[in-house]
Amino acid sequence: MQDARLRLFSVLLLSAATYLSIAGALLTLLWLFLYPTSLVSTVKSKALYILLPFTGIVALVMQIIGENGISYFIRIGILLLLAFTIFQGWTPGEFLDLAVWLFGTGIGFDIGLAIELTIQGIKDADQDWSRVLTAMKLKGMHPEFRNLASIGFLMIQLRLLRADDQADLLTTRGYKSGGSCFPHFEPSNRDIITSLCAIPILLVSLWRFVIFLYL
Amino acid sequence: MSPSHGGLGLKLVLDRIIMKRGSWSCAADGILVPGIHLITGRVGSGKTTLAELICGLLEPTSGELVLDGISSWMLCQQFPEYHVIGATLEKEAQSYGIVPELALDRAGLTGRGGEDPFCLSRGELRKLQFSCLSLCDRDLFVWDEPYSALDCRQKQRVAQHLSTRSSGITILFTHEQRYFPKTDYLWEMCDGVLKYVGKVPEALPWWEHAPSHIRFLIGKGVIPANLTEEDLGEALCRMQG
Repeated sequence: MQDARLRLFSVLLLSAATYLSIAGALLTLLWLFLYPTSLVSTVKSKALYILLPFTGIVALVMQIIGENGISYFIRIGILLLLAFTIFQGWTPGEFLDLAVWLFGTGIGFDIGLAIELTIQGIKDADQDWSRVLTAMKLKGMHPEFRNLASIGFLMIQLRLLRADDQADLLTTRGYKSGGSCFPHFEPSNRDIITSLCAIPILLVSLWRFVIFLYL
Repeated sequence: MSPSHGGLGLKLVLDRIIMKRGSWSCAADGILVPGIHLITGRVGSGKTTLAELICGLLEPTSGELVLDGISSWMLCQQFPEYHVIGATLEKEAQSYGIVPELALDRAGLTGRGGEDPFCLSRGELRKLQFSCLSLCDRDLFVWDEPYSALDCRQKQRVAQHLSTRSSGITILFTHEQRYFPKTDYLWEMCDGVLKYVGKVPEALPWWEHAPSHIRFLIGKGVIPANLTEEDLGEALCRMQG
């Protein structure tokens, strides 16, 4: 999906649908198959498999205390799948475009810039992690539980140093608040149709949720 | 063509290695034996990629890398901050498995062991990295642009230290034009392909991208005994004589 506005619209509706009922979650899963390439990349993502066990632990605890842990696991699992799949389609600069389109070149620009820098920070952290692992490998060390605190500290420090450099760069370029940006979007008929499909999914999910509340 | 070297048992075999990234590719085929190998090439010619392939940090698209008899190896990465995993200079030096005081002393950082590595300038961090690495002993040592961020005096020291590495396989990847260690074998990366030029000094006339002062000497019919500053100075004297 190329148009960031349609992507945001779809993800908001589908997230609500997934959270409200299992039916909504399963329909969202079906919807994800409309973007098989992104879905395959998501299924291969290591980060997904790091987060899923945590969801599993919470679901298990819920099941033990008498709540519906299985439903929780299915809904949150599909929510993660949706988030990761939608995120696969984002390209640098889209959040800035979207924020400026939504809120204008003043506060919109600032929000967009902050989101772009945060996303960049996440990517940088991923690269820093790889570099630390490489450095440890070169030095004949292995990542161990007792090293995690110092590695975490190192990565935070790297992030702070980079943020400091970025702040200097923005100041040097004369940034104070707001800025000019001309958002550009490329909607396609396919994207519009798939986005509209999110509406009935949300309605079905809402209907199932209301039934669940009154039964 | 590959250099031949007898006896010492260690051998690094690059068996038709190819690394592809989109339309760009890097290829290497050859055998590296104990001694100092200088691999030169322009920026973007694939030196760092090959260094990382040799050290197993990258998987080749095709071909095979054989570390024959090599049990320990080390890569000096181009950016010294990539090596940092310690919160203090002392812990950083310790992470190399060496005596930290000695490394700090060699780097001119005596008494600063408690400081944060990222408070150092890149040049200072490079000096620390180099002094730590120079205390490590490995069968295979790969240096990727070890001169970067250093001033001329430090570059001289690096070249002198590399010249003293008598055992194992030492590979120096650089586009440096002035400071070289005493080199045994010369290679070139040309358009992403590793090319064996030959043994030094015999191969010097065939060095395609040789520094201008070396080309000048060869143009005058004087072939330096090697690539160190002393050798080049001596060759210059011969030419004038």
